[in-house]
Amino acid sequence: MTLKQLNVAVDIGGTFTDLLAFDAETGRIHQAKCLSTPPDFATGVLDGVHKATLNLKQVESFVHGSTVAINTAIERTGARTALIVTRGTRDVYQIARGNRPESYNILFQRAEPLAPPHLTFEVNQRTTAWGEALVPFDEAQARDVAKQVLAKNVEAIAICFLHSYQDPSDEMRMRDILRELDPVKFITMSHEIVRKSGEYERISTTTLNAYIGPRTSKYVSNLENLLEHDGFGGRLLIMQSNGGLMSADTAKRVPVAMMESGPVGGVIASAEISANLGYENSIAFDMGGTTAKTSLVHGREPAVAEGYYIGGYADGHPAMMPVVDIVEVGTGGGSIAWIDEVGALKVGPQSAGAAPGPICYRRGGTKPTVTDANVILGRIGVESFLGGEMALDREAAIAATADLGKPLGLDAVTTALSIVEIAVAKMSLAVRGVSVERGFDPRDFVMVGMGGAGPIHAVPIARQLHIPTVIIPVLPSHFSAFGMLMSDIRHDYVRTHLSALNKLDFGELKKIFAEMLGEAERMLRGERVADDAMTFQRYLDLRYEGQEFAIKVPVSEEEIASGALKTIRDRFDSIHDRSFGHAAPNEALEMVNVRLAARGIRQKLKMPVLAAGAEPKPRAIRKVCLTSADRFEDCPVYARDALAAGAEIAGPALIEEYGSTTVLFAGDRAKIAGTGEIIIQVGALQ
Amino acid sequence: MNIQSPISADMRKRLDPVTLEVIRNAFPAISNEMSYDLQRTSYNMMIYEVCDYSCTLLDTNGTLISQNIGGVSHFIADMGVVIKDGIERYGLDGFAPGDVLITNHQAVAGQHLNNIVIYTPFFFEGKLTAFPAVRAHWVDIGGLSTGFGALGSTDPWSEGLQMNQLKIYEAGKPDNKLLQMIADNIRFPQAAMGDLRSQIAACRLAERRLEEVYKRYGVETINAALEVIYSETERKCRAVVETIPDGVYEADNYVDAPGAREPLVHIHVKVTVSGSDMTIDFTGTSPQTSGNNNSRTLAAAYIAYKGLTTPLEPANEGSFRALKAIVPEGCVMMAKYPAAMADWASPIPGSADAVFKALAPAIPDRIPAGHFGYMMIGRSFTGYDPRRGRSFVLQTIDGGGWGGRPTQDGPSGSVTVCQGDVRNAPIESIEQKCPVIVEARELLPDTGGPGKFRGGLGLRLQVRALEEGRWGLPPHRRNTYPPWGLWGGQLGRGGTNWVRAPEDADWKQTPIYRLPVTKGTVIRAQTTGGGGWGDPLDRDPERVLLDVLNRYISRRGAHDDYGVVITEDAQVDHKATEVLRAKMRAEAPRAQAQTDAKAAAP
Repeated sequence: MTLKQLNVAVDIGGTFTDLLAFDAETGRIHQAKCLSTPPDFATGVLDGVHKATLNLKQVESFVHGSTVAINTAIERTGARTALIVTRGTRDVYQIARGNRPESYNILFQRAEPLAPPHLTFEVNQRTTAWGEALVPFDEAQARDVAKQVLAKNVEAIAICFLHSYQDPSDEMRMRDILRELDPVKFITMSHEIVRKSGEYERISTTTLNAYIGPRTSKYVSNLENLLEHDGFGGRLLIMQSNGGLMSADTAKRVPVAMMESGPVGGVIASAEISANLGYENSIAFDMGGTTAKTSLVHGREPAVAEGYYIGGYADGHPAMMPVVDIVEVGTGGGSIAWIDEVGALKVGPQSAGAAPGPICYRRGGTKPTVTDANVILGRIGVESFLGGEMALDREAAIAATADLGKPLGLDAVTTALSIVEIAVAKMSLAVRGVSVERGFDPRDFVMVGMGGAGPIHAVPIARQLHIPTVIIPVLPSHFSAFGMLMSDIRHDYVRTHLSALNKLDFGELKKIFAEMLGEAERMLRGERVADDAMTFQRYLDLRYEGQEFAIKVPVSEEEIASGALKTIRDRFDSIHDRSFGHAAPNEALEMVNVRLAARGIRQKLKMPVLAAGAEPKPRAIRKVCLTSADRFEDCPVYARDALAAGAEIAGPALIEEYGSTTVLFAGDRAKIAGTGEIIIQVGALQ
Repeated sequence: MNIQSPISADMRKRLDPVTLEVIRNAFPAISNEMSYDLQRTSYNMMIYEVCDYSCTLLDTNGTLISQNIGGVSHFIADMGVVIKDGIERYGLDGFAPGDVLITNHQAVAGQHLNNIVIYTPFFFEGKLTAFPAVRAHWVDIGGLSTGFGALGSTDPWSEGLQMNQLKIYEAGKPDNKLLQMIADNIRFPQAAMGDLRSQIAACRLAERRLEEVYKRYGVETINAALEVIYSETERKCRAVVETIPDGVYEADNYVDAPGAREPLVHIHVKVTVSGSDMTIDFTGTSPQTSGNNNSRTLAAAYIAYKGLTTPLEPANEGSFRALKAIVPEGCVMMAKYPAAMADWASPIPGSADAVFKALAPAIPDRIPAGHFGYMMIGRSFTGYDPRRGRSFVLQTIDGGGWGGRPTQDGPSGSVTVCQGDVRNAPIESIEQKCPVIVEARELLPDTGGPGKFRGGLGLRLQVRALEEGRWGLPPHRRNTYPPWGLWGGQLGRGGTNWVRAPEDADWKQTPIYRLPVTKGTVIRAQTTGGGGWGDPLDRDPERVLLDVLNRYISRRGAHDDYGVVITEDAQVDHKATEVLRAKMRAEAPRAQAQTDAKAAAP
C-alpha cells in the first residue's frame, strides 16, 4: 500500500487553474499553474496534477474550490426545477418580500424565480408556528401532486412547507412519495438546507439548491471519477462558502453550500498565516483583475454572515447559508478609468478583464486601467512583469492616459497617479466597511495583501486606515489554494427556537443542542473525521425583546449545562455595544435561533522555513513615481526569491516576484519572516 | 458652512480629482452607516422591515449634504425645513455639543406625528459645522397613532403628542422630566425609547465620522468639494432633462381620500420642460381636505424628478437644483396647520405617478403605465393573546401591481413608488408573534391590466383570527379611478376587502376600516393590479399561454382580453386566435390614444 502523504488543493479561476500540494512527510510544497479548460473544468484539474507530477495514489486529501455552483445560478443554466409548497403559498416565491430596493427606479424588476409558477404545486398540509399539524398531510393529494410534478419532465424538485423548521416530517413524507415514483430525481427538502424561519428566504435557498443540484453534482461526480481513474483513493473535499470543507457526497446533496467556494480560501489562509505570525486579528485584502475583496478575521475567526444574496441585494436570490462575510468592490488591476458625463474621473467597475486586458499587455486594450497607471508610475516593471515573460508597452499606456486626462487639464503621470489613488480610496472604503463600520478598530489588525494586484496597493490602503502592519504572504497570487490546504471540515446547523431568555428552559436547550450534535457527529463520521478531531462551537441568536435583528453570541457547553444566564446576557450586551455604540443591560432578551458549528480538524500545511542569509541587494534601481507627479525617484528593486529570512528593507523600495510587486513608500519598513512572508511596518500618514 | 462662498482659483486647484472622489464617497458612506445601525437595532417593524426612516447630514443652512440610500422614497430631501426651523428657533449660537433635539411638529415637519426627527449639532474645532438628523416612524406617539398612523384622527391633538423643537439632552445631559413625560404618554414606551436610543446613537456615530473627515480635509476644502459635488449632480440631472422634448405636459389623477368628506383627491400636474429646466406644478390639485390626508411636502415632485433623472445615485442638495417644484399654499400637499395629517402620505404616490403620466407622450420609451399607487396597503390586527399572555400587533405591508412598461410586464405585488425597501412580514414570523393563521398570500389572476406588456398583479392576503381582535383594513382600493393603461393598454383591476365570520356561508365585501372580528373570522385583503402597456391584441400568443399556465390570467381572460384561444391540451390555437383577434379589432377600433385612462372621473 502506498503511503498517503499528499494534501492537494486546486482552485479554478476564470483564466488559470492553480494547484498546490503539501507533502506532510517532507514538508515540501508543490505548485502548478495551468490554463482553465471551460466548460469541462475537470480536465484543467488533471492537467495540473500531471504538470506537478503528482502520484494520485499518494494523495490523502484533494481539496477543490469551484465556481460551477455560482455560475450555474447566475448564468441561469440550471435544472428545470419544480417547487412543492404548502396550500396557499404558491406565489410566495414570486412575491418575495414585495420590496423595491432601488426606490426611485420606476422600471425596477426583481429576479425571476428559478422555479416558475407553472411548475409550483401546493399540497394540503399545514403546520403551526408551534409545530402542531393544523391540517394533516393529505397523502392522497400529495401522491397526485407527485405524479403531476413528475409528468412535467423536471430534473429537480424543491420541497418547502411552512414552519417545517419546527417539524420537518411532512417534507420527508413528500420526499418519500416522490422517491417511490422516481428513485433518482434530485430532491431538496428545506429543513435539510436551513432549519430557520422566514419562508421566502427558505424557499429561495431550497430552490437554488435544487436548481444547481443536477449540474453541480454531476461535475463533482465527474471529477471524482476522473481522479479515481488515475488511482486516487483519498478524500475529495469541497470548499464551502462558510470557509470550511465538506465531503464530495455532501456537496452533491447540498451544492448551495459551495456557492462562494472560490474567494473564501484567501480569507482562511489570511487567518492562519496571521495566527502563525502571532496576529489574532487580520483583514484579508485580495485584489485581482476585476474586483477587490476584503474580509475581517477577529480572534482567528473569519466573520461569517448568516445569509446573502446571489447576484446582489436589489435583484438577486437570497441564500440563507453561512458565508464568510466578504465585501467586494469593482476595483481590480483591469478596472478601466473613465470620465463621467459631468467630468469626474472614475475608476471601474468596468474591467478590461483578461481580454483585451490593460493597454500595456499589447492584447488590443485601448482604455487605461489601474495596471496601466501602475506601469506609467514605474511601480510595475516593464521588463520584470511575469518574470520578464511579457514585455509591457508603457508608451501606449502613457499616450492613452494622456488623452484621458486632457479634458481635466492633467498630464499622463498626474492622471495615472489619480487613477491609482482613486482606486485606493475606493478600496479603503470597502476595508472600512468590514472594520470601522462593524465596530472594529483597524489599529488592532494586520492586513494581508494578496491576489496579483494586492501587494501593490495594500500599504497605502493600510496607511489611510491606520492599520499598522501589512503582511504579504508567500505566493500571494495563489493564496486561495493555500487557504484550502489550511481549512477544516465544517458544517453549520441552525434551529429556530423562540423564547424569552429569562424563561429559557435550559434542559430543552440542552436537548436541542444534543440533537444537532448527534446530526453533526453522524455527518462528520460519514466524512471520515476521527472523533478526537471533532470540535463544536455553540451559539445563540439573541436580541432585545422587540428587536428584529439578532446577534450571534458564542456560548460554551458548560454555560448551557449550568444555565449561566448572567454571563450570556453580559456577553450579548457587550457585543451590541461594540457593534452599535449602545446597549440596554436592563432590558429583557429574547432567543431566536440555536446554532452549532461543527468542525473536523485537519492536519494543516506548515509553511517551509526559509534560511537566513546575506544582506538584501537590489537587483536594479528604477525611477518610480510614489508621492507626487513631478517626482520620479530612484527606487531600489529587489527580487523576492533572493531575500533571506530576517532581511530588512526600508522604503522607498519595490519587491518583485513572478505574479506581483510589493510597493514600499518612504517610512515603510519590511522584514522577511522565518517562513518567508514580507512583514511591513506601515509608516505614518503624512 | 456657507456653500455660497466663492471658490477661489487656489481652492479649485487644491481640489484634485482624488480629494473630490474621496469626499464624494465619504458623506454618503456616513449616512448609510447610520442607516445600517439604526435598522439593526430598532424595535419596531416600521423601521426594521419598512425602512420608514431617513438618515441625513445637513449643513448649518439646512442644505442636504447626503442621505442614506434605500428606505422610504417620500422622505427625500425633506429635512432641510426642520433644521432651518431649529436654527431660527435657537440661533446658530444656541446649540452646544451634546445637545439632542426632538421634533415632529406639523406646522413645519408637515407629516404624521409618528415621524420623529432626532438631530444633534456637530461641532468641529469648537464651531457649529453640521447636523446629523434621523427621522423615523415610531410605533406609537400617543393619541390614535398606534401602528401605521392615526387614521380617524381629526386634528393634531387627537392624533398624538406634539413635540416642537425640544432639547431632550442639553450639552450631553438628558432632560429626564421631558423623557419621562414622553414615555408616560405613549403606548409602547419600551419600543419607542429603544428606537430613540438607536436614533441618538446614529447621530453620535455620524458626529464621530464627521470629525474624522473634517480633521483630514479641513472645512474649506470640504465646502469647496461639496459645492462641486452639488453642481455635478445638478448637471447630471440637467443632462437627462435635456433629452426630454421641450413642452408643457399635463395630467390628472384621482386618488381615494380615506376618512374625508371629499370622496377623492383630484391631482392635477403641469410639467414644463424647457432645455434642461423642469417645472413640476401641482396648481389645480385639491385643496386641503376635511380628512387627515394633508401634508406639507414637495415629495411627489421630488420622487418623480429623481426617478426620471438619477434614480440610482445618492441624493444631495444638487439633486433638485434644476427643478422648480410648485405646490401652492393651501393645497392638500401644502396644508395649513392645524390640518390633520395622520394619513399624510396617501396622495403622494398618485401625484408622483401623475407626473410620469404627463410625460408619457414625451418619452414613451421610459414611462410605465399607472401603478396601483395607494399607501393604504398596510394591514394591522391587534388584540390580546392568552397563549402568550400579552397584547399583540400584527403589521404587514403587501404591495400591488405596477404598470406594464415599454419592454416588459409590470412587477406583481410590489410596494408603491413612495416605498422602496419596504418588506412584507413573513407568514412564519407573523404566526410566531400573533394568534392568526395566514391561509394564503397569493397573486390574483386577471388583475393586471391587459396589454402588449401586461400590468403586474394585485395580491390577496387571507388571514384567520385565532383570537378576537380588531383589524385595520383600509378599504380604499382605487376602484373609482383605477391605474391607467398606456398606448392601448387597459386598466388595472381588483382591490377589495372581504370578510367571513365562522357563521357566514359566503364571503362578504367589507368597506369598514376598523373592523372588530370574532375568533375564527377570516379576512381577505386584496390589492389592485397595474395598468397595461400597448394593445393586448399585440401580445405574443405564446406569452399569453405562459401567463395562463402561470395562473396570471385565466383562460377566459386570454380569450376576452387578449383574443387568444387555448386548446384543451394547453396549446395556442393560432388559427382561431387570428380569427378572434381580427374580429375584435373590427368590432372595437383599437384605442390609439396616448393615454387610455378610461374611467370617468367624478
